Amino acid sequence: MMASQGVAPRVLFLLTEVFANGGIQRFNQTILDASSRLGIHCQVLSLNDSAASARPTQGNISVVGFSGNRRRFALAVAGALLRGRHDRVLIGHINFLLLAVSILTLRPFNRTPTMLIGHGIEVWSGIGLARRYALSRIARILCVSHYTRQRILEQAPALVADRLTIFPNALADTWGRVAPVQPAHPLPAHFVLSVTRLDRGDRYKGIATVIEAFSMLADDSMQYFIVGHGNDLSFLQLVAERCGVKDRVHFMRGVSDSELIALYQKCQAFVLPSGKEGFGIVFLEAMFFCAPVIAAREKGALDVVRDGETGLSVRFGDTIAIKEAIERIASDVQLREHLRASARSLVIEGGPFTFTGFTRRCAEVFEIGETIAA
Amino acid sequence: MCGILGLFNRTGVLPQSETFVAALDRLKLRGPDDSGTWQDECAMLGHRRLAIVDLSPSGHQPMESSDRRYVIVFNGEIYNHRELRPRLNPRGEWRGTSDTETLMEAYRTWGVDCLKHLNGMFAFAIWDRAERTLFIARDRMGVKPLYYSDRNGTFGFSSRPGALNMLAGDGALEVNPEGLRVYLELGYIPAPLSFHRDIRKLPAGHYLLVNARGVRRIRYWDYRSIKPDPSMATRPEGELVEELDSLIRSAVKMRLMSDVPLGAFLSGGVDSGVVVAAMKQAGVAHPKTFTIGFTEAAYNEGPAAAKAAQYLGIDHIHETLGVNSLLDLLPAYIQEFDEPFADSSAFPTMAVARLARRHVTVALSGDGADELFGGYHYYPLIDRLAPMLAWRARTKRSAGRVFSSLPWHRTKLLAGALHCQDTVGLFHFLRSVSKDYPPLVQVDIFRSTVNSESWFSQFASAFAVDLSAAETAMRLDAGLTLPDLYLQKVDVATMAFSLEARCPMTDYRLVEWAMRLPMQFKVRDGETKYLLKKVLSKYLPAECVYRPKMGFAVPLAQWLRGPLRSWAEELIHDDTLMSRLPLDKERVRELLRQHSAADRELHPLLWSVLMLLCFVQTHGARRALPVMPAYREVA
Repeated sequence: MMASQGVAPRVLFLLTEVFANGGIQRFNQTILDASSRLGIHCQVLSLNDSAASARPTQGNISVVGFSGNRRRFALAVAGALLRGRHDRVLIGHINFLLLAVSILTLRPFNRTPTMLIGHGIEVWSGIGLARRYALSRIARILCVSHYTRQRILEQAPALVADRLTIFPNALADTWGRVAPVQPAHPLPAHFVLSVTRLDRGDRYKGIATVIEAFSMLADDSMQYFIVGHGNDLSFLQLVAERCGVKDRVHFMRGVSDSELIALYQKCQAFVLPSGKEGFGIVFLEAMFFCAPVIAAREKGALDVVRDGETGLSVRFGDTIAIKEAIERIASDVQLREHLRASARSLVIEGGPFTFTGFTRRCAEVFEIGETIAA
Repeated sequence: MCGILGLFNRTGVLPQSETFVAALDRLKLRGPDDSGTWQDECAMLGHRRLAIVDLSPSGHQPMESSDRRYVIVFNGEIYNHRELRPRLNPRGEWRGTSDTETLMEAYRTWGVDCLKHLNGMFAFAIWDRAERTLFIARDRMGVKPLYYSDRNGTFGFSSRPGALNMLAGDGALEVNPEGLRVYLELGYIPAPLSFHRDIRKLPAGHYLLVNARGVRRIRYWDYRSIKPDPSMATRPEGELVEELDSLIRSAVKMRLMSDVPLGAFLSGGVDSGVVVAAMKQAGVAHPKTFTIGFTEAAYNEGPAAAKAAQYLGIDHIHETLGVNSLLDLLPAYIQEFDEPFADSSAFPTMAVARLARRHVTVALSGDGADELFGGYHYYPLIDRLAPMLAWRARTKRSAGRVFSSLPWHRTKLLAGALHCQDTVGLFHFLRSVSKDYPPLVQVDIFRSTVNSESWFSQFASAFAVDLSAAETAMRLDAGLTLPDLYLQKVDVATMAFSLEARCPMTDYRLVEWAMRLPMQFKVRDGETKYLLKKVLSKYLPAECVYRPKMGFAVPLAQWLRGPLRSWAEELIHDDTLMSRLPLDKERVRELLRQHSAADRELHPLLWSVLMLLCFVQTHGARRALPVMPAYREVA
């Protein structure tokens, strides 16, 4: 069923989580925000949001949370799909692909276009026979980066390449409306910043390597702020202690968006040399607030950080290169200003990663007519 | 091989020169040919020399630069120093022919970037009198040791921690609780830890800048993040064989630089075979090679080495011993290691070094090949075990119960491996001597220290992404086990007989190449060192190449139930000795009982405990304090 010109389409979103921090969650928030502005009626079934947190964000978004209860979630998905009252189905995570496709096969005359969001690690490997079949049954795969698209095609070469669309994330519209607020403690003159999850399973983010690189800097007045939390905090604190920089590495959690903006604006560099970033929404945030970015030359980050243009890129794990990149940015004002200006052009009006651009892409994939798009 | 020692006191208080010379004498075996000291108002440098290159007095150290601004003490060899000389001084005005002079000039010209130009094994210190800065560096793979300490305003460094201890206070050994715990888990102590309180090992590929403000430790070379190159997999295998062969020949040829007789260890295995074949290719017509054989066939590699030597047409010197006669080396083993050290293969290494020293002053060895090219049996094993890590917790628990209830040693180990969280943890489990045996340190030490796995995790955090479990294990071995266990063993075992060992496989060009080499050329269908064996096949017949690996094994488990049993019991039941260390006596005694009764094969851990007790008996130890103060590199 195609959305006709002038009629608001109804889209069923099957999502992992909306109301939390994290790359996928922020993507979900942005796509719902954009869809809502396009006038789409969004019915969201969210596995991990709690019933309490799953409140509507706009008048045309309804979110039902299942607090991680897979069984109830599966039943709700089955009910929604079998009723077939939607013009589109958007599967927000590959883990829901088999569930959705197997239910849809129970409706042999189903014509509801179904789409999948291909984020990062989850689709880079492990697409077996069943998933390959399921992928062949859906209309479109929205890939957050070129790397994600390439990996899916490598694992499922039978897929028609045209069905895989690059659909990168964008800076949320709300950032422009938040006023920066100084954190409780005054910020030092020189510091570098990372914003990330700190879980043991996320060591590929490269924070330990930044700490090691940081300990080698000649400027021992430089500080390092790490915003985030997770179960690997004690390991990272241990690394900082062993590298002799325990007093200059500061772990911060519960940082508000306003405080985060102040950190982005005042840092010498935003450093996240992650080895497996699906896209890296935090790079866009840093760029929007003029923080020069240092990233790894890996996977999704390649779409955003071009070495010497929109940031500096290093080999993942190369502590010497990270140290040198920080030193270059700290000492070369011209380079710093060039990186800031080039990077910001990606996320301000006319750039590829703006909310306006994202909304336009949404309109294209949902095939919304001009009159509906706000 | 030489020994270096130095001090820098920020307040200008230096020890008596007699004290310094006495500490320097502790390095005598490292450098029996010459010694020298140098000092100014706040620094003292000392050197013991084993003369290898430029035997004339112009090679004497400590060496001052021509403008007298810099003073150097240097242990090791810069193999490419002759190529560097024209770039450093095109007019060729040099005082002598030593690589020490070249190195100092390289620092004068390039500063700390001189390290990028060096190919060699080295640990050196350069004192800049104008800047009052000490620049200290260790080679990329950690062939040469370097220890340092920074206490009470005095920074010290040395080739051996014992010499540093002699310079500090009353010279008594104080135990580092974390070093003790890590030692009892691994059987060795990875850098930067050491067994001694306030003494640290400079990790491989690092340098230090020391001045009045503090100490800054900087890594100058890092292979950890090099990714395997998939394009190598598409090239013809023969091309890769030729490329590797050419790299090995180049690495070996560089290491033939010597003004004294030079030979090689030949065990009959792949690594030493490749090195000796490359020596022949490099133009050494009749290299002298050395092998220790044993009268017990199960440990005897003598015939295999003799056969390889015959094919290669080399001058082969062979000595056959009874395995038990290696125990004669135990006193030297304990005396020469300045930290407890539990690798029993040090015995045959010492024996072959003793043999070689009767004929040559320098010997090439194949160390490093196993870690770079996939030689250890547990590399294929860890790939097979890795999928277990993804099992659900409930499945792991059930399987663990089943495995541990079975009567076999291996299934019990498998049950222990199920507790590992990731491939680093799995590698740590396989590599550790303690496995799942309860901690042997007392509870207060256990609680105030961190386990050795965290060092492995920290090191692995910079590894290229998407490595297989075996590749992860190989990189951990190359970065931690190789420098601080195997290369340390070779250094100390050869030093005990004033022999210089050179390891061509640790040439950084080979290391970087090996890191790019895809896994299928290292381990294929269970065959270890796949590509390296193809290289050796060019020079030796298949019967010499494709034979089971023996290594330098000794019958430790049997020794500890036989000829060494009463000695072990005596040590472990010595209450005075035990009270000098914060160990859980009951667990240590239970360990001995279980091994003696052959309930479990616990000889690696038991041997570690015995070496620890012997070490403390020989060197003395104050009881360690339970809490280690946080260490800060920059004051």
